[in-house]
Parts: sequence; structure tokens; C-alpha cells
Amino acid sequence: MTEADARLKTLFAEDEPPVRDPAFSTAVMAEVARRRFVADVGLLAVVAAAGGFVLWAAWPALSPLLTTTSAGLVPVMACLTLAVTAVAVLDGRLVPGGFRNHD
Amino acid sequence: MSPEGLDNELVEAARAGSTAAFARLVERHQAPLRAFLRRTCGNWAQADDLAQETFLAAWSAIGKLESGASVRAWLCGIGYNKHLSATRSAGRSRAREASYEAHRPASARPLSDERLALEAALAELPPDQRACVALCLAADFSHAEAAQALGLPLGTVKSHVTRGRTRLLQVLGGSDDGS
Repeated sequence: MTEADARLKTLFAEDEPPVRDPAFSTAVMAEVARRRFVADVGLLAVVAAAGGFVLWAAWPALSPLLTTTSAGLVPVMACLTLAVTAVAVLDGRLVPGGFRNHD
Repeated sequence: MSPEGLDNELVEAARAGSTAAFARLVERHQAPLRAFLRRTCGNWAQADDLAQETFLAAWSAIGKLESGASVRAWLCGIGYNKHLSATRSAGRSRAREASYEAHRPASARPLSDERLALEAALAELPPDQRACVALCLAADFSHAEAAQALGLPLGTVKSHVTRGRTRLLQVLGGSDDGS
């Protein structure tokens, strides 16, 4: 590097932004999180709408089937619900800090 | 681990959806990106806004970044394109340039006369030339890396840097003899 280049570089360096700027980084990540949340909500809304549409379309076929099988399904569903609840509670207790975060 | 190796690891993790990895990338690259945009557009507040928009665009497009590519060059390229778009959409006027000093936040410490002269000279350079100078003379980018970041031919970058350097040294009253 020549003396002239070094002089230019020194002048450029006079008002560099800080190497660490938590306020800037936090602002960026807050906006990233907001956009991610909006995208997640949008995706869930689409999935829910699609699921609702499928259920509505299939309901004429499902309705009689459910009516005939519902009496036999009640104990099975109750057991499954209890098992899922137990797994969720125990899993939450086994992970340090209670619940897992997303990262 | 080398900085590039760490960047590659963080990019891979961010691609997999890790916001913590992306936060590390923001932390590592915010200073050089903001410095580049400050030198390129002159207005500090606008430069910081552009830097934030750049990181948001990078988060959305991180899947498109080629493996092993320079993250800082990629970010500066996005930032430069955003700066050009903002300049075009700002009424295509020179008003922003004219109000540059008026809008500029006070620096943490007073700038020297030489530094002010440098900024004035920088503001007079054409945008491409200013960006090349900001990357190669102030931020230690190689000519090839600057060409990649700005999407310009290598020869154009070299000539922009040479002309820009000569102009800045003229304004500062220094010699350009390579001494």
C-alpha cells in the first residue's frame, strides 16, 4: 500500500460505524422475526382454509361413516388423547428449561 | 476457523432456518455494509435504512447464495442495488445530494477538514466510481471481489478505482506518484 492509499484509508476510517452495534442488529432481527411470523400465519391460514374446504367437500361421504363408527371410536380416541397429553407433558419436563425454543 | 469458513457455516445454518445464525451474520457484517453504504449514498440515516433492507432481502434470498461465495460481497451487491433503486425512485432529482450535509447526523467526533474535503470529493464522483472507491480503497476489497459485488466488468472496476483515487488525491492535495 502506498503512502497516499494509507492516507485515504485513514481518512475513510475516521467515522466507521461501530464494529458491534446491538441496537442495529436487534432492529434487523426484530423485523426478520416479524416477517417470519407473518409468513407463518399466512401459511397456516392457507393450510387451514384448504383443510376446511376438503372437509366441507368430503363431508357428505364422511358424515354417514362417522355416524356408524363413532360409538366404537370413542374409547380409542380417549386413550389416544390421554397418551398424547402424557407425552407432551413429560417431554416438556424432560427438556431443560421446560419447553424447547425454535432455534 | 477462518472468517470465510465461519461465514459459510453460518450461511448453511441460516439456510436451514436458524435465525441465531443469521443474527451472527448480521453482527459480523453490519459495520462494513453500513460503512460502504454511507460512502456510497452520503446520507447516514438513509444508509442505515438501506443496510436494514439489505439484511432483510438477504434473509429472504439466502438460499440463492452460492456455497463458498463471499458473504460481504453478496451483501454489498444487494445494498448497492437497493441504493440505485432508491436513488431512481427519489424523484430522479439531485435534491438528496444537495441536502446531504443538512441531513447528516453529527458524527461522534468532529471530522477533520481533510475528511470533509474527502466526502465532498466522493459525492462528486459518478455512482459506479464512488462504489468502486468505497469498496477497494476504503474496505480492502480486491478488484475482482468488487466487480462481483457490483456486477461490473473487472476492467471497469480497475479504471473506476484509478480515476477515483486520482480525483480524491487531487482534492486532498496529495501526490499520485505511488510514493
